[in-house]
Amino acid sequence: MDKPGVQFRTNQKITWCPGCPDHIILESARRTLISLVEQGYNKNNFAMAAGIGCHGKIFDYLNISGIYALHGRAIPTAIGMKMGNPNLELLVFAGDGDTYAEGMAHFIHACRFNPDLTLFVNDNQSFSLTTGQATPTSQPGFKSNLEPLGNFNSPLNPIHLALSAGASFVARCNANDIEHTRMVMEAAIKHKGFSFVEILQDCVVFNLYVNNKDRLMYKLPEAKRTLKKALALSQEYDYINNKGKIPLGIFYAQPRPSLDEEWPQLVNLKNKKVGWGGLKK
Amino acid sequence: MRLNILIGGKAGQGINKVSGIIAETLVKNGYYIFNYRDYPSIIRGGNNFNIVSISDRPIASHESAIDVVIALDEDTIKIHKSSLKKDGLILAYKDFSGLGLNTNVALAGSLIKVLGFDNKVLASVVKAKIKNKLSVDALTEGYNKQTSKFNLKVLNNQISILSGSSAIAKGAINSKIDMYFAYPMTPATGVSEMLAKDQLKNNCLVFQPEGEISAINMALGASFSGARTMVGTSGGGYDLMSEGLSLQGMSQIPLVVYLASRPGPATGLPTYSMQGDLEIALRSGHGEFPRIVVAPGDPDEAMEKVNEAFYLSEKFGALSILLSDKHLAESEFSLFSKNKKTLPVVVKRLIPGQGVVKVSGYESDADGLATEDPKIAIKNADNRLKKYQAIKKECQKLEMIKIYGKADSKNLVIGWGSTKGAIVDAIDGEDFKFLQVLYMMPMSNQIKSEILAAKNVILVETNLTGQLGRLIREKTGLKIEKRILKYDGRPFKSDELKQELLNKLKS
Ligand SMILES: Cc1ncc(C[n+]2csc(CCOP(=O)(O)OP(=O)(O)O)c2C)c(N)n1
Repeated sequence: MDKPGVQFRTNQKITWCPGCPDHIILESARRTLISLVEQGYNKNNFAMAAGIGCHGKIFDYLNISGIYALHGRAIPTAIGMKMGNPNLELLVFAGDGDTYAEGMAHFIHACRFNPDLTLFVNDNQSFSLTTGQATPTSQPGFKSNLEPLGNFNSPLNPIHLALSAGASFVARCNANDIEHTRMVMEAAIKHKGFSFVEILQDCVVFNLYVNNKDRLMYKLPEAKRTLKKALALSQEYDYINNKGKIPLGIFYAQPRPSLDEEWPQLVNLKNKKVGWGGLKK
Repeated sequence: MRLNILIGGKAGQGINKVSGIIAETLVKNGYYIFNYRDYPSIIRGGNNFNIVSISDRPIASHESAIDVVIALDEDTIKIHKSSLKKDGLILAYKDFSGLGLNTNVALAGSLIKVLGFDNKVLASVVKAKIKNKLSVDALTEGYNKQTSKFNLKVLNNQISILSGSSAIAKGAINSKIDMYFAYPMTPATGVSEMLAKDQLKNNCLVFQPEGEISAINMALGASFSGARTMVGTSGGGYDLMSEGLSLQGMSQIPLVVYLASRPGPATGLPTYSMQGDLEIALRSGHGEFPRIVVAPGDPDEAMEKVNEAFYLSEKFGALSILLSDKHLAESEFSLFSKNKKTLPVVVKRLIPGQGVVKVSGYESDADGLATEDPKIAIKNADNRLKKYQAIKKECQKLEMIKIYGKADSKNLVIGWGSTKGAIVDAIDGEDFKFLQVLYMMPMSNQIKSEILAAKNVILVETNLTGQLGRLIREKTGLKIEKRILKYDGRPFKSDELKQELLNKLKS
């Protein structure tokens, strides 16, 4: 399974819809891992937790260790994995329904706890695997079979929320842009502490209204920003319609001691290069 | 010889603290104790009390008739006077105006004199537990105010004291626990605190996440990575964990869950005790998957059963639920048996870092990849069933039930968990045999034969509907007609229970 071109792939048949950007996100993730291994990362140390939704299927397609977690619970699952062995390089793949509806508390507290892991949220502004209901980032007026009168709520701004909650790394990507996404993914993984990467993606079947916004996107220049500046930038896009500018790239990166640097027990495991399972007691 | 001492006052007056000091002093004088703790969910005020029962023979319960009331306030006298024996004694706060927070210690001094002991042991216990120079003066003042009434002699017994919570923490440490996840909830918090206190010394980690849903998912993650992992909670938090239990069932990540019950539904009586959660321990979590449910009845068993829970979950990739309640968790017991051998809890499975290892909440194939293939679905389900059979076999090597009392009695009392102490004390010297069920799932086959061999069978539980009775009926087809069920949140007192048992025999 380690031949070039198939590295980090499994033999599982891919069941995403034709044209779904999830295919591209998988490819960005795969290239990220290949690049990191080339830079000396141990491929056995990558591990992931995935949520439940279309996005979560990446679990079966990416050949690294992990838990296909419960809907909304990929974040605590991954934090546990990280605490179980702080030498692991943890990736979380989650959806917008998954993270901001069912699992919202975990998202906010992960920003606070600052575990050294990376969260990717594939945001298609729809619960797609359950056939297209409104999520917390859907626009008002979005109608589904479940809400035929339309969604009455304004979308949540996850970038703004993550920054306010204390996330030490916050970025946004466009699923369609493999190379830029790979670069951001790589930077996010290298960041010490909790990294949040929002990946904007179209859904080719549901909530088509919010699709096709590539033309509004622009790349933020690489720069060290204050929280205030990052928060201001986060307001440029309101998730409602395809007006306004959509900044891509790293909004904010400000390392602070991560969970595994604070707990002496975990520092000890890292120094010894083992997890609890390899520790002599 | 048996005495019951009630120590009461307002929350914040050091009732539990001084009760612990008294218990320890008595144990150091060679007496067996049982220290029951009763308190409302109030931080300051209300009426808190402990009953410290003492005897020259092993005991594990308290009684209703009180020999000495130690009152730190007027309410205690009003509320508990009626429980006092005819020749009972009240030692009251009024004798010590001006001592403030040391009033409790002064009264302990008075008690020790009344019982007939020297005050040296008390002084050493007080010194170790209260960092306040005036406290020793206070106890001397209290001591000198009284004369000996009971004339107790120092005995030569080697006894130590342990609460259920401390025992569970000890059992976890003996099992080399690595990580404990818990969100605060009475009466489970005791274990978190015990483990947290010495976590660096014991090389483990106690983490308080944002809630119980997070706790169980983190725990599964940590265990997957190779940590010996446990979560602790009470009913409400356990309900929140249900979906996580189900993920355990599918992923087969080893996990130990400590469930300490209190009376429900909902917030119920948060600081009281009830055996109302046996059925959620047995059944919560959707889908059908194997699990182990074990309910120790005292600290000795708690230590042993926690270790078995860790051993079984690691060996079988299974869910072990350790069921306790407030009465076991927060009461203090005399401990005098020797430590048994600890079963080794060794992580032998493949863990991340060693290669690709995937587990899933979906039904999955041998590589851990999701599948909807009906043949694999059947195979996996059959394997879950087979695993339960293997667990059952392994459990037969462990103590799944215990028998106490008169071996040839035709009067069989059946109970579980924290009622053990009161039952064992209640049947002492009477024509009863007591069958204690420790493993609720799997269950011992011997239960059926014991019931069939008895003439009178009496079920004793602290819940409304007799949940163990229902489980036994499910497993054996036998219905236990005679039942003593208590559901006021208060545990059985052994003297009252004895009367009830004798009455049931007549009915
Ligand atoms: C506890 C629970 N509630 C509901 C579901 C059903 N469910 C499966 S996927 C999903 C929505 C996923 O939406 P999102 O996270 O946005 O992912 P997408 O499918 O859009 O990638 C829901 C609600 C579930 N699996 N578990």
